[in-house]
Amino acid sequence: MKPPAEGTLRAAATFVATLGVGVAAYIAIAEADGGAPACFAGGGGCETVIASSHSELAGINVAAIGVVGYLLLLGAALLRGDGARLAGFGLALVGFGYSVYLTWLELFVIEAICQWCVASAVLMTALFAIGVTRMLAYVGTEP
Amino acid sequence: MNEADEQRRERLVKLGSATAFLAIVAIAVLVVISQSGGDGGDAANVEGAAEVRAELEGIPQSDLVLGDPDAEVTLIEFGDLQCPVCKSYSEGIVPQVIESKVRGGEARLAFRNFAFIGDESVDAAAAAIAAGEQGLGWDFVDLFYRNQGAEESGYVTDEFLRAIAEGAGVQDIDKWDEARESPRVRRQVEAEIAEAEDLGLTGTPSFVIEGPLVDGEDVLGTPGDAGTLEDAIDDAA
Repeated sequence: MKPPAEGTLRAAATFVATLGVGVAAYIAIAEADGGAPACFAGGGGCETVIASSHSELAGINVAAIGVVGYLLLLGAALLRGDGARLAGFGLALVGFGYSVYLTWLELFVIEAICQWCVASAVLMTALFAIGVTRMLAYVGTEP
Repeated sequence: MNEADEQRRERLVKLGSATAFLAIVAIAVLVVISQSGGDGGDAANVEGAAEVRAELEGIPQSDLVLGDPDAEVTLIEFGDLQCPVCKSYSEGIVPQVIESKVRGGEARLAFRNFAFIGDESVDAAAAAIAAGEQGLGWDFVDLFYRNQGAEESGYVTDEFLRAIAEGAGVQDIDKWDEARESPRVRRQVEAEIAEAEDLGLTGTPSFVIEGPLVDGEDVLGTPGDAGTLEDAIDDAA
């Protein structure tokens, strides 16, 4: 099956990474205000997850780390060449792997689900799929 | 496959593998940092005593009941000191309710031990009750949660419990030690577990409310936000 044009993949990654910046920034800002992001379906899972010690990594807010990660992915989507293709794949793999771990924590340790964290995990999964496709199809080709 | 394709394939395999390896190492490092950051359970490094004192300062407490003894409404939290979700509540939702409803005297907040996770939960529960007998039960509970370790990992030792009791401000450690080991306190733990089971509770934290407008006890379950508990207090008064 012929892969999508690299321009299409880069445009999709740009769109998804921009959404990711928005989601992660919203969570980080809500936490910085001393609250939690609003859970549209109710249930208060977001408050429980945000209150958890797992919402910080070495004293740094995980959502803030997410903002940085999505910005780096946005940069990789906007740039051309093998460096950007490999960076997009590698960063998305890190983000995807850590999202799987965080989702596991929500389900089995914190026992609460934050919809915004799930949204971020879905976006990171999409970026991983795009990153893998772009790398496999275009590394070693002309930018 | 022509030579150009072969070269591309080699480059892809080499660079892709190296990138994937680095990414997997990065994930492992992040997970290890995450796990080590919240381990707790360290008797030599009890943290948060000053924060606990500041949070509870000026609020009367007796046994494991926090707040005005004459308050019309009693909100009861059934918790297990080893439960990580209870720890989350202790650091997020419960302090909000304390500030909004307990400090001002609208309600009092009782902690009861639904010590179901394991033997370490029972030891911790007895230690909390014994601290409560010296008027520092909530300080003990709050400080324990802040230093909670992994469930049934062996961290709830005599040394750890003593460090929490001292951090909570328990003055007579010998009396506390004697009480927590006594059959009387152990029976109280069993009675609190039995009460939780009689109420049909299946997990922790679970909240129950008593008040003038409540017939007996109303089981609230595990509301996910402070507002639900505050509304329940308003409705019960």
